Order: sequence, then structure tokens, then C-alpha cells
Amino acid sequence: MGDILAVENVSKQIQEKIILGNISFTAVTGDLIAITGPNGAGKTTLLRMIAGLMTVTAGRILWNQEQYGLEHGRIGYLSHQPMLYDSLSVLENLSFFAKLYNCYSPQSVQEILTRVGLWLARYEPAAVLSRGMQQRLAIARTLVSTPRLILYDEPFTGLDREGRELLLGLLAENQPRTVQVLVTHDLTLLDGLKCREIKIEGGKMVEEGVASD
Amino acid sequence: MTEYGRKIWLLYLKDLRTELSTQDNLLSTFVFGIMLVVIFSFAFQLADVPVDRALAAVLWISVFFTSTLSLQRSFAIEQKNDALSALLLAVGDRGAVFLAKMLSNLTSLLLLELILVPLAWVLINVQSAGPTQFGLLIGVLFLGSWGLAAVGTLINGMTVQLANARLLFPILLFPLLIPILIGGVLCVSAALNYSTGSVKGWLYLLLCFDLIYTVVPFVLFDLILEG
Repeated sequence: MGDILAVENVSKQIQEKIILGNISFTAVTGDLIAITGPNGAGKTTLLRMIAGLMTVTAGRILWNQEQYGLEHGRIGYLSHQPMLYDSLSVLENLSFFAKLYNCYSPQSVQEILTRVGLWLARYEPAAVLSRGMQQRLAIARTLVSTPRLILYDEPFTGLDREGRELLLGLLAENQPRTVQVLVTHDLTLLDGLKCREIKIEGGKMVEEGVASD
Repeated sequence: MTEYGRKIWLLYLKDLRTELSTQDNLLSTFVFGIMLVVIFSFAFQLADVPVDRALAAVLWISVFFTSTLSLQRSFAIEQKNDALSALLLAVGDRGAVFLAKMLSNLTSLLLLELILVPLAWVLINVQSAGPTQFGLLIGVLFLGSWGLAAVGTLINGMTVQLANARLLFPILLFPLLIPILIGGVLCVSAALNYSTGSVKGWLYLLLCFDLIYTVVPFVLFDLILEG
């Protein structure tokens, strides 16, 4: 049986400002949800709340009908920022996160780095990598724990054509066994993928699109 | 080792490795500490300040100022590239992040003191101390460093996401550390004066201070990092 992510009437208020109001949707394994909207609409806030990195002001977020938080431990999060340590090498960065997730083995790390095309650059510090290579390492970090829920925040930023194809391939490959939620301002990047669009404007959900290819 | 302890240990090792690999920061901190000890040692000798008071003052002045440099880097490393988010997702508990950071900051401070204490000892020309006095000196330095590391990690975690973090850090740090600094100076001075019984109360105060500033942030770090 697949997993179910349920976002129920979620709101976020910071001081007097309402960032998000009454957002609701559900997603099951196999779903790719594309959250779209203009800058400042609250897309990243919603994603960070789903990840457990921010608390909700009202409403609840459920994973298989249970409330969860950071302790869930198997959430993949790929952001437009690489979320890596500049002073550690490619290998050290990935090994560190793999060990934290308790899924480290030299073979698995080598396999993932080879897959994202970084095995030959494994001893390079993350700081000297190009933006695109850092994003590839971030993809490796996201996948290392084999998450069942993967969140993407503008993941195509800084990727070249080859990198975009790699990421699109991973999105397609992960689709049958994961729930994926992706924040983007450009849906055309997802051409060829079956996804459901949720449009947010001014913190409100204005549209939930039907499945599309 | 439990799963929780294993994660703290991994974070602790990562922090030490990161600190050692950024040699510019490490070197500038150590050089700054050595300069403070040298300058204040000569200044106190010129002013003919008694040895016990001079050593206590030199040690805590140099440790405090040097620690403000090193402690505020602790979360800045995590803030860059938003590594903190990836870390929190992998660790799953903000309290563990606080504990690991505090322990790595404490280790850095103790390493710094390994250089500063003998240097100050020689420059101020302290005569030999008995084992009890020496033990008290080590104990006080440990308790003081623990307090510095705990408060520093807490304030750093609170301010790192603010635009004027570098300004706020020392401003918030100093008032909170007043008990540590006063207690530290009195206890070091008493240790060299062979009057250890008179500072028992301060030692308990230092221990209580350290425990409070370790346990409370550990429990509340969720709220602190959420900001």
C-alpha cells in the first residue's frame, strides 16, 4: 500500500502577516504535485512546513494519517540552495549525510556519486564546484536516504541542460515509489511528466489543476 | 552507543573537521588570543598587579574575547548554503544539534586554553602551585569554558538568521556571561592564593549556571531555531 500526504487547512502567520491561509491537498505515492505561483506567494513556506522545518500556525500535515515532524527522518529536500558544507569534499559531504541517515556504505555512496557524475570529483571541496555540480551533489544528498517523500524547491536553478535531464530522469524514476512535491514558477520544465498543479497566490490556493502530461 | 548519541558524535566530528579545515579562522583566533595574553601580561606587570590577580584577569580577558570570535562561527557555517535545513532533516532533532555544537565549541575553547594558559603562566611568572590549586585552576577553566560554550552556542543559534547577527552576538553574550567571568576570575585568583575554601559557593554557581544553560536550550532549541 502506498503512502498518503495530507495537507489539511494549513495556515502560517508570522507576527501580523498571514503568509499562507487554508491550504489543503492530498497526495499519494506516485503523485507529483507542482506548486506554482508568483514570487512571495508562500510556496517555499508551504514546502518547509511539509518538511517539518517550520511549524504550522493552524491546520495539520499528516503522513499516513499521522502527524509528523522532523523526526520522520526520511524526507528528501532539494532546494535551489545546495545545502552543503563548502569546506568538506564531495565524498565527505555525502558520507556525512549518509551516516546521519544510518544508511552509509562505501558502495552506496560510490553508486550515487557515479550516478550524478561526481565520482571523479569526489575529493574536491564543495566550495570549488560549479553551481551545477553543487546541485548534482545536492541531488545525491537528497537521494542517499531513499526517501518516500521528496520535496523540491526550484530544483532546476543553476542546472545546465544535462543536469536538468538528470533531474527530470530522477523525478520520473522516483515517481512510482514516492510522493513528490515540487515548487516551481515554470511548469514547462516538467514537460513529459505526469503532475498535478496547485497554484498559490498571495498565500491562498487559487487553483488545483487536473493531472497533466 | 545509542542512535541519538551516534548522531551527536557524527555532528561533533563534522564540526571539528570543518573548524580544522578552515585554517584561516582557526589561525586568526589563536593569534588573537596569543596577542591578548602577551599585551595584558606586560601591562599587568608594569602596573605591578599581584600575580594571582594578573593571571586571573589575563586568562579570562583573553578567553572571553577570543571565544566571541570563534563561537559566532558555529552556526554561520550551517547558515551558508542553508546546510542547517539539510542537517535538521537528517538529524531530526534540534536539541541534538545544540548539544553537538556546544561540545565542539567547548573542545575548541579547551584547545585554545591549552596554548593560552601556559603562555600566560610563563609571561606573568607564576611560581609553582600545589596539586589542589592546580586542580582547582583546571576545574574552573573547564566550568567557565563550558558556560561560555553553552551560552555562546545558544546566542549564536538565536541570532544567526538575523541581518545584524555579528553586532548582536557580543552585545547579548556579555551580560549573560557576567556570572561566569566574575566567578572565573575569583576562583582562579583563589586557586593561586591557596584560599580555595572561600570560593566554594562560586564553584557551585558556575556548575549550576552551566547545567541550566545546557539543559534549557537543549529542550527549547526547537523554538529557538524556528525563530
